[in-house]
Amino acid sequence: MLIALRNVSRSYGDWPALENISLEIEPGEFVVVSGPSGAGKTTLLRLVWMGDLPSRGTVEVAGFRSDRMHASDFPALRRNLGIVFQDFRLLEERSVYDNVALPLQVTGTSPRAVRKRVFSLLADMGLSHRRASRPHELSGGEQQRVAIARAMVAHPVILLADEPTGNLDPGVSAHVVDLLLDINRGGTTVVMATHDPRQIPPGKARFCFLDRGRLSAPGEWPGMDMEP
Amino acid sequence: MFIVEAVLRETRLNLRGKHSSIMVTLLMVSFSFVVFDTFLVVTWNLESLLREEQEAVGIEVFLDNGLSEEDGRQLGDVLTGMEGIRSVYYVSHAEAEAVFRAEFPDQGEMLDILSERFLLPASLQIGLHPDYRDAESVERLALTIMGMEGVDDVIYGEEYLPGLTSTVRALGRLVLFAGLILVVSICLVVSSTIRLAVTRRALTVEIMSIVGAPGWFLRMPFLLEGIGLGLAGSAGGILLAAVVSAILSPTVPHTFMPASWVLGVLALGAAVGCAGSWMGLVSGIPRPRS
Repeated sequence: MLIALRNVSRSYGDWPALENISLEIEPGEFVVVSGPSGAGKTTLLRLVWMGDLPSRGTVEVAGFRSDRMHASDFPALRRNLGIVFQDFRLLEERSVYDNVALPLQVTGTSPRAVRKRVFSLLADMGLSHRRASRPHELSGGEQQRVAIARAMVAHPVILLADEPTGNLDPGVSAHVVDLLLDINRGGTTVVMATHDPRQIPPGKARFCFLDRGRLSAPGEWPGMDMEP
Repeated sequence: MFIVEAVLRETRLNLRGKHSSIMVTLLMVSFSFVVFDTFLVVTWNLESLLREEQEAVGIEVFLDNGLSEEDGRQLGDVLTGMEGIRSVYYVSHAEAEAVFRAEFPDQGEMLDILSERFLLPASLQIGLHPDYRDAESVERLALTIMGMEGVDDVIYGEEYLPGLTSTVRALGRLVLFAGLILVVSICLVVSSTIRLAVTRRALTVEIMSIVGAPGWFLRMPFLLEGIGLGLAGSAGGILLAAVVSAILSPTVPHTFMPASWVLGVLALGAAVGCAGSWMGLVSGIPRPRS
């Protein structure tokens, strides 16, 4: 089991963001966590990358357990993960190259190895010609591809994508989804949170539905009619 | 090695584009250090004065006029064996008169008028070991000698030495107090600067944390910034204090503090800068919430 949430609840003050969630994800799976706004999708992903810890229950990711984490375990866990956000979260004062290179630079990878990996990834993403640009000079789709490149540069075993198409128009969204499916085909486990699961072709992923902090069975979500 | 380069690059990025806040912090730290350095310069000069006085300090034992030269020299031998006394020199009546005439040539006639019946007292000039030159030791020794037979009077600089010693001690305490205030105030100034820097770079810190940067990597650029601010601020303070010292030197003769003290102040600046930035980081760097 690569990711396991066991009876996990997470509250912020009196507000229960997640209630008694149990979810297991095997290596190589593509899991779509869907639900309306405020359902707890982002909270669930935050618990997986341990940006937050559960109020109750345990989260286990790539051998790291939330109830046994020491300060030095968080960086070690996150080197196994790549994370993509809806708002891209690219660093404006850095070029595309430096944004993508960051995960390697902070772990002391040699500049030569960084250059080789980043150039190769930018080429795969069709961004070679943009490597010296600043994020604000890019289109939304390009920015999201840079964010995905940054998430993938250190060869993570898990890619977490939180509404990766939320800020993109439908054509670009489809391209980003294809990119995530490609990454999954390469062996990386992908967990994607989205309010619109129709972007993922049926049969390509396992679907989980969150509603007001609780996991629902497929088909229970109003307006949804998809097979897992 | 590569990670050190990465830390230095992040430190450079931290400093980029915030010259005004750095200047304000540097000025505040420098002015705080000017006050501290001024106390140090005054202390150093008073300590130097005290040292000079203590090096010259000795005890002059005036002997009873009825004491023979042989008895006087014997008393000198007894004193030589006492703890804290390095040397004893016997000054006879004749030698005392010769010294008086040499030092006060205008008043030599006075001795002639007083005739041969008046004798300047013989005395013992006592030199002390360096460890026994402080006011308390000298006074204790003088009182012991005063109680000895054949001794008429003892002079040992009792009028100024205790006062000078207590002044230097009081100033030392004042420097310590000023130093504590300085440490606290600079810590607060640097910590608020660093907190602002962390807030300004919150996204960078968050992203670096998310991509697996170790905690020390997140903190180090800010710690280096704090150390740099403390070091540069203390250097600026020393420079300003040196300029003021040079301007005042002709009217108030004094010396600037020694190189070892300057190095100490620089080290204090770096340490306080480091402590201040650590304080700023405690609340600045986000941690996972449970």
